[in-house]
Amino acid sequence: MSNTNPSASTPSGSAAEANARVIDGTRLVRDRRLNNVKKNWSLFRSDIAAMLGAIVLVFFILIAIFAPLIAPASMLDVTQQLDVPRYAPPSLAHPLGTDDLGRELWVRILWGARVSILVGVAATVMSMVIGTVMGLAAGHFSGLFGAVVMRIIDFFIVLPSLLLAIVLSSVLERGVFTIVVAIGLTSWASTARIVRSQTLSVESRLYIERARILGAGHRHILFKHMLPAVMPLVLANTTLTVGSAIIAESTLSFLGLGDTSKESWGTILKNSMDISAATSGYWWYVLTPGIAIVLVVLAFTMVGRALEAIINPALRNR
Amino acid sequence: MTELSFANVSITYRSASTRGDVTAVSDISLDLPTGATLGIAGESGSGKSTLIMSALRLLPKSTTIDGQVRLGGKDIRDLSFGEIRAVRWAQASIVFQGALHSLNPVREVGGQIIEALEHHAKDAWMTPAKRRDRMFELLEEVDLDQSKAVSYPHELSGGQKQRIMIAMALACEPDIIIADEPTTALDVIVQKQILEGMARLVGERGISLLMISHDLAVLSAVCENLAIMRHGKLVEYGPSDQVCLAPEEDYTKQLANAFPQIGDAESRMNPRTLKPAEVRRAQPYEMTDEVVLEAKNLSVSFDTRQGRERAVRGVDLALHKAEILAVVGQSGSGKTTLARSLLGLQEVDAGSQLDFAGTALPRKAKALRAFRRQVQMILQDPSGSLNPKRSVYEAVVEGLRVQKITDDEYARVIGALEAAELTPAADYLESIPQELSGGQRQRVVIAGALALDPQVLIADEPVASLDASVRGEILSLFLALKKNLGMSALIITHDLGLAWNIADTVAVMKKGEIVEYGDVDTVLSDPQHAYTQELLAAVPRLGSQSLVNNG
Repeated sequence: MSNTNPSASTPSGSAAEANARVIDGTRLVRDRRLNNVKKNWSLFRSDIAAMLGAIVLVFFILIAIFAPLIAPASMLDVTQQLDVPRYAPPSLAHPLGTDDLGRELWVRILWGARVSILVGVAATVMSMVIGTVMGLAAGHFSGLFGAVVMRIIDFFIVLPSLLLAIVLSSVLERGVFTIVVAIGLTSWASTARIVRSQTLSVESRLYIERARILGAGHRHILFKHMLPAVMPLVLANTTLTVGSAIIAESTLSFLGLGDTSKESWGTILKNSMDISAATSGYWWYVLTPGIAIVLVVLAFTMVGRALEAIINPALRNR
Repeated sequence: MTELSFANVSITYRSASTRGDVTAVSDISLDLPTGATLGIAGESGSGKSTLIMSALRLLPKSTTIDGQVRLGGKDIRDLSFGEIRAVRWAQASIVFQGALHSLNPVREVGGQIIEALEHHAKDAWMTPAKRRDRMFELLEEVDLDQSKAVSYPHELSGGQKQRIMIAMALACEPDIIIADEPTTALDVIVQKQILEGMARLVGERGISLLMISHDLAVLSAVCENLAIMRHGKLVEYGPSDQVCLAPEEDYTKQLANAFPQIGDAESRMNPRTLKPAEVRRAQPYEMTDEVVLEAKNLSVSFDTRQGRERAVRGVDLALHKAEILAVVGQSGSGKTTLARSLLGLQEVDAGSQLDFAGTALPRKAKALRAFRRQVQMILQDPSGSLNPKRSVYEAVVEGLRVQKITDDEYARVIGALEAAELTPAADYLESIPQELSGGQRQRVVIAGALALDPQVLIADEPVASLDASVRGEILSLFLALKKNLGMSALIITHDLGLAWNIADTVAVMKKGEIVEYGDVDTVLSDPQHAYTQELLAAVPRLGSQSLVNNG
């Protein structure tokens, strides 16, 4: 009996060891990825422009989130601003001046940031998802299916996107969601093209052939090799696209196609034009929303460029 | 005339990275008198390319050169930019390593030859018409038809492109030609033609030739003197025959031995290496009669612009258990297509029959996946076969995940890496491909295939891109896999020496057909078909300057 005990415990011991090792294998992979993220983060931090951009972004996102706490919605209610002077230039009492209805511009910027940034980010996410899926499909599948997908992409590239967005937002019901759909549906085509060209180049690599030899199907190749290969490109492209989506949102609101019940930077610009603020000397009315748009778009671009340089080291020092 | 001399040359790359300054060449003195031929041999990273680039001041600005590089008695550092431009091509020209990448893909090759003539216009080719004549003359000298002048690089074969490069190098009647691995990417027959051509031109015109290669046999076929470099230092220098046949230094011996001598009984089934793979079984597996993979009347055709082209024509092939079969042929002979169709990666023509273990090759995706577990392939270039972003562990485990083998994942990966002689396996798991050497990468690729416990391994030029010393290691690994695991292997190669080193049987392929097929000893010692004889004759042998004397 004393002999069987150790021999019985040995296999179970080695099984436990093997179990611990199984975890080891996947943990090794996770650790390596974590290290990569850390390395990239330190590269990002050493880029002053990117850090400035990130700080500006964090600032605008924070004020957008906490707008109701900083400036209660009642401050936008025209009926409660009767004692506030109209068209007051920036001063200590009115930091960014007031508008034609006596509302503080800084409050409007605060609330406008919510819609502008939300629409910018949501429309970009939509455009990136469509663009990545279509680009991968067009690049990976050859033959009729790939050709059809490619023609669809071409169709959206040649459409004047602003015109399509205007048509969409005037046909659909007014609202923030409509604006997101209008911008998202019109801006994905260029992403799809970029993703497709990257997919085509990765597709011809030997390690894809090797994966096929190992027995891999479309799903494995698309999700384990293609998606990771195009993801960095898509991420960098995302930050750059957010900027143009914010501008598109402002454009649509400026043209009066946005949700008129909600504040947005484009709406402020439209209001200022309605009362000819620029020619009447109310410069703060025009400049404040304009500068806010420029700051956020610039910040997204600076962050995007830094991400691009991290993915593609050849771009550094250019 | 011009002579080239290096006197105590040391070359350092300044680098801001963590590696610090790298000394690529240290204290080299070599002379190349007028009309002489000198070969520099060494493995990758030995500094041989850096050394010859210094002769024309072609190194990047981040390098410092100590010592003197003299061209025609003048220190090249004293030359002004205008003077060095005049020297480049007119006095000394270079045949670069990759002809594919050194030619402009969007210009006709004739125009590219004329370009060099325009930059160094001399009396003989002052006018455009004369330059054109000179270009045709050059094409003739390198045995190319005049009609090729209007071809674009992609329309030419590797050998033809290399000839264009040589024509360009000859264009301005230089005194020195520097050739950087001129034949590395070419198969033996084309290699022989190129080497013969270069040897003839050098002999006829009294041009000096400085040639570098990792292949001692190639150098010894053309050069009078040989220099062996290692880690930037000169190891041995002397007349070609002496260095090759009676080397004094251990390193030279190792290099000379790394090349198989076909017919040499000692290297039969015994690739020379300092690190032979271990044979663990008391009674190693031997080739049996049991057929594993069989092809009957196999044909493959492609649609090309010129019409339907038959890449493989009616091939009959049988791979037995624990057999190593070498398929030998020139590039374009259909070897790779044959391998891909054996794996079911390539559509075959009607009437072809492919059997694995007695049953026909499946065509449905699911059955093919199961089949791939049994038959694995190793691709030509180990660096390209690994996803640069994924670690060794992920690369090896990929096959297991695809085949949904979930038990003992870690143990299987370690086992596969150890079977591929990458030990201790645990140390390599986290490395990514760029941190590994070429030989290590190839081992990882092999481990990835072994993880699935296949019965058959198909390898496409498994050692073509590796250094000589690594070549022996990988070949001995294939031999050990056969002996330890009873694995069958089909190895595709243009190198007859490889067949002599490890294969049981050999099939010689020409234009899609197998012209000779049989036991290695029989076929290589007593070739029957004229093409096999031609292939054998083209293999360069150490010493004797064979090509120069014959040519």
